[in-house]
Amino acid sequence: MSVSEKPRFIAQESLIGTRVTKMDAPEKIEGKTRYIHDISLPGQLHAKILRSGRVHARILSIDTRAARALPGVHAVITAADVPDQRPIGVVRDHLPLKGDRVRSLRDEIAAVAADTEEIAAQALSLIEVEYEDLPLLANPEDSQKPGAPVLHDDHPDNVAMRFEYSHGDVRAGEAESDVVLEDTFKLHYVTHCCMGVSGIIVEFDASGSLLMYSNTQVPFLHKREFADYLGMDPSRVRIIQPPIGGGFGSKLDIYPFEVICVFLARAAKRPVKLLFTREEEFLASPTRQPVLLTLRSGCKKDGTLTFRQVHTLHDNGAYTSWGATTPFVMMQTFSSLYRVPHCDYHTVAVYTNNPYAGSFRGYGNLQATFAIEQHMDMMAEAIGMEPLEFRLKNAQDAGEVTGQGMSFKSCGFKECLTTAAARSDYSRKRRENLEQRQSGGPVKRGIGMASMLHVGGGAKIYPSDGCGTILKLDDFAHVTLITGASEIGQGSETVLSQLVCEELGLPMSAVTVVNNDTAITPWDVGVHASRTTFIAGNSAIGAAKKAKVKILAAAAKKLECAEADLDLRGGWVIRAASGEALLDLPRLLRSLHFSDKAELVMTTFYYEPPSVHQDKAFKGDVSAAYAWATQVVEVEVDTETGIVRMNRVTAAHDVGRVLNRLGIEGQIEGGVVMGQGYALTENLLVEMGVMKNPNFRDYKLVTAPEIPEMDISFIESMDGEGPQGAKGVGEAPAICVAAATANAIYNATGVRMFDLPFTPERVYRALAGKSEKLCWKPE
Amino acid sequence: MTEIERYYAPASLEQAVDCLQEAGGVTVLAGGTDLMPQKNAGRLKPQRTLMNIRGIAELRGVELSGGEIRIGALTTITDLLENPLVRQHLPQLIEACNHFASDQIRNVATLGGNICNASPAGDTLVPLLVLDARVDLVSRPEGRMLRRGLPVAEFFVGPGKTRKAPTELLAGVTIPLPPENYLGRFFKFGTRPALDIATISIGFGGILEGGVLSRVRVAFGAVAATPVRASHTEAALEGRPLTEATIAAAAAAARDEVTPIDDVRASAWYRKELIHNMTKRILDHVAHA
Amino acid sequence: MSLMHDIDFTLNGVRRRATVRVDMSALDMLRETIGLTGTKYGCGEGECGACTIQVDGVSLNSCLMFAVDCHGRQVVTIEGLGADEASTRASALRDAFVEHGAVQCGFCTPGMMMQASHLLDRHPHADAESIKRGIEGNLCRCTGYKKIVDAIVAVGEGIAP
Repeated sequence: MSVSEKPRFIAQESLIGTRVTKMDAPEKIEGKTRYIHDISLPGQLHAKILRSGRVHARILSIDTRAARALPGVHAVITAADVPDQRPIGVVRDHLPLKGDRVRSLRDEIAAVAADTEEIAAQALSLIEVEYEDLPLLANPEDSQKPGAPVLHDDHPDNVAMRFEYSHGDVRAGEAESDVVLEDTFKLHYVTHCCMGVSGIIVEFDASGSLLMYSNTQVPFLHKREFADYLGMDPSRVRIIQPPIGGGFGSKLDIYPFEVICVFLARAAKRPVKLLFTREEEFLASPTRQPVLLTLRSGCKKDGTLTFRQVHTLHDNGAYTSWGATTPFVMMQTFSSLYRVPHCDYHTVAVYTNNPYAGSFRGYGNLQATFAIEQHMDMMAEAIGMEPLEFRLKNAQDAGEVTGQGMSFKSCGFKECLTTAAARSDYSRKRRENLEQRQSGGPVKRGIGMASMLHVGGGAKIYPSDGCGTILKLDDFAHVTLITGASEIGQGSETVLSQLVCEELGLPMSAVTVVNNDTAITPWDVGVHASRTTFIAGNSAIGAAKKAKVKILAAAAKKLECAEADLDLRGGWVIRAASGEALLDLPRLLRSLHFSDKAELVMTTFYYEPPSVHQDKAFKGDVSAAYAWATQVVEVEVDTETGIVRMNRVTAAHDVGRVLNRLGIEGQIEGGVVMGQGYALTENLLVEMGVMKNPNFRDYKLVTAPEIPEMDISFIESMDGEGPQGAKGVGEAPAICVAAATANAIYNATGVRMFDLPFTPERVYRALAGKSEKLCWKPE
Repeated sequence: MTEIERYYAPASLEQAVDCLQEAGGVTVLAGGTDLMPQKNAGRLKPQRTLMNIRGIAELRGVELSGGEIRIGALTTITDLLENPLVRQHLPQLIEACNHFASDQIRNVATLGGNICNASPAGDTLVPLLVLDARVDLVSRPEGRMLRRGLPVAEFFVGPGKTRKAPTELLAGVTIPLPPENYLGRFFKFGTRPALDIATISIGFGGILEGGVLSRVRVAFGAVAATPVRASHTEAALEGRPLTEATIAAAAAAARDEVTPIDDVRASAWYRKELIHNMTKRILDHVAHA
Repeated sequence: MSLMHDIDFTLNGVRRRATVRVDMSALDMLRETIGLTGTKYGCGEGECGACTIQVDGVSLNSCLMFAVDCHGRQVVTIEGLGADEASTRASALRDAFVEHGAVQCGFCTPGMMMQASHLLDRHPHADAESIKRGIEGNLCRCTGYKKIVDAIVAVGEGIAP
């Protein structure tokens, strides 16, 4: 803070709900931000990984002699060179370097560290591997058949994980139903496509401490896991996170390339940098979990939901990452999005020789919502009720505790429904579109709605779901906000600073954020579950409140008045009642510091949300708050080509409270377009374990001319636990789009599509009646 | 792997064709937008000489003379889009250029490069077929400039394969000036306006007088090993009144005469359906033009 | 060892020489040989636009350009954008990207800026639809493009006809 002339009065101004520009935007705009790709350490070597290119095979031999002999090669490693390697992943089923057998196309066989990338690539080409192909398991439905190839000897049934959940008695529910529907839905492979490809830089210092420049979204979990993995004291593992070129959940697990790079740095005794190519990013990154899902739902004639029964088959791929655990989230949607008295949910995640599935924005909820929101429309039609009315009749309210034990302290669901419907003129357009199905030209208009429930106050999965903050005010009243919460582009650094400034009455320019070094920042569980604004926000507020107490106490002493009469505003201590400026804050801080009883204003706070761990039956109030949304999608379907154009998306989101309007709009718009890609354009084609389109030419992200017009409304339910009333929003906007699009295509054409994506040929086939009716039931 | 042993950037057409005449392979670099990814993916082996022809000024530009429009091989897609002659006379080509890749690629990619790549889905090739374009090939055996023209329809022999001899350089294309009342249409099917490889593309050209079509040209892209003229479809239209029945017959002929394949972008069945439906749509538009 | 070739060109207004592999891309030259890392690798195939630069006044994908082809030309990267007399527009674009929230992870941003600046050079008053077409070769995974388009439109509207 610069010293300014003393104002007499300072008017109250709030930052909350305003459009605050992103703090790191100027650096990024000028190309000055140093992503991991842009960092080079002195003496650094370049690493490359040899992948199997086989889908399922036994490794007979690996000959690395020629590669080792190549000038410029510093280290070549195979499984034989790292006898201490152990399995990684959620169920520890994944050895980073495969020595005896490969189970998917991307499997790591060997790795090289060399002076240049070219030499490393040349060395890879000199490695000779002999394979013997093994029978292939490409279809998850085949995994349970007698005689199916077994992918992991310790999982003879090919089952990686099972989930069983139930509340009520679905048989009783079915018995009282007037309408019962059963349909099978099929969800496809998509992947994150972060614009910055994956990478890591590893170095060991003279004492053997490990320093990783990593793009992880979970630095503190990573630190602990790597220490455990390498048998090191965790205090000797440090992770620095350079700015990340996109996360979206892709960086929640430890992946083989990271471990391999550590091995290479250890072997070469030099810093080693490893970057993926785009093709490698497609081949070797986790995917969203493909799911086969059979949903049985019922309701009464009056529109009351009676029961839901769900079976899902998850294609786990060859190894287990977080994708297998998405049922945690999926079951919440089935059990609790609407009031449903009886619900059963069963999942089997099975091994195949396909790419393995990780976590991806929405975490299973896109898949669950796709099924449930189509069934809502179908049931409404079956009983002759308007879809909006049917949803309103069954929608949750504040105060509800669901069968799964979720307690909705704030809930703007019904307002989301009515707002999105009104702003899109949903009911009128839906009726008009029905009329034009049979008449008019080949291009049909459709409108469809879908809603969602997602955690909005963290998710208590780990022993703690908390986040720590250290706040330092220097002798110029400049704040250093040291937070455990990582910035992955979502704008956490800006919103956290905003919350601190709001407490301390300071402008945004008064804050520097430190959030990227485990040696400095306090613990946080990671960027996932839409939790950062809520959890790290409450943590930052907690630290700021403590600083404020300390400052006001000192001021009160100096001014000989009560602390309660004082407040902070515009860099001044003011009289709370009148806004009269009393003490210049920097001067007050200096007088505290440079005195006989020298004191600094530095505070810490650890926020742990009041949520609980679920019990073994998956029951419990797992999040401190819940987010709601309704989205209405308007499409045009060209029945002569099958192309679906998304013209407009009307989104109403219960976000608790808008903190940074600019940031939250950006989250919603980006999420909607990501949902549009999931619905219409993105399709990772995997045939017999082989990825057919590992490039942006044939894996189609949405481009600028394709985006819909977006109308976004914020429902401010003012959550009692949320920071300034806010709830998490990161994942929510991507969740409803595909489901609403399916309903819109039905409205336009009368054809219901149960499987994604809605790419032109697939839609055209469905319109021509050439799609196979999906029907799957577990044996 | 062949290593590049020489980099050469000739300033004149003579120098360039002399280089081609020398023994040893030459990779010709123009815009580079296809060459670079093909090289990186290992689909194209660089020859011993990399010859950058971009500096040959005479190969760039559009001119009208003697009832023909001549387009130099180095003319970029953006040049074409901004050229008044092309805009006025060659609507199909403009439409194809408008759907070509992205602005960054249009700024650099050359018409000659698109032709020499001979992709079955090459965006400009279908309009060139419909416009009766001829390719202008230059060589210099024994120090003597030799030019030969070849109809575009005869130039392509397979994916990436043309009748251009290794010693020849594509200097440009020549297109007879279409008459005043000429109707030209181009349609490319993809999910995006551009930055998309055509699932199918359709070119149409002809004259509609008194409701009757003449000088009909129809060509299709991405339905065979090369972009192709559609002789049966043309026959179903030539000299006939453009009625619903004619349109239906032409669309059916189109579906029957294309021989697409299944690939990662579409099935053969769907490509045939698109050819049928979109040929019909284009002809409907022409009928109501 | 690949054939090396000496080139002489102007980079961000400064004349310079470089010795490059003949099969190297301009992107690799900028990032590895010269050490300017503002230009990003996103795909290496001209499909994402993260590597967009301007050469002789037009935007292009530096991953598709042969480094040797830079010889004798004027190359501008994000580090040099707005260093010349057209800097008012570049600076207006920078401000607009900040004010409109056009940046999230930021990885596509330098390429987006280079393309946006080229577009407005060519079409100073481009409307939203033509701007969307103009950036169709620039992929962004975070923003959904809307705020990027808004930012570019705002700069176009801000320029007196």
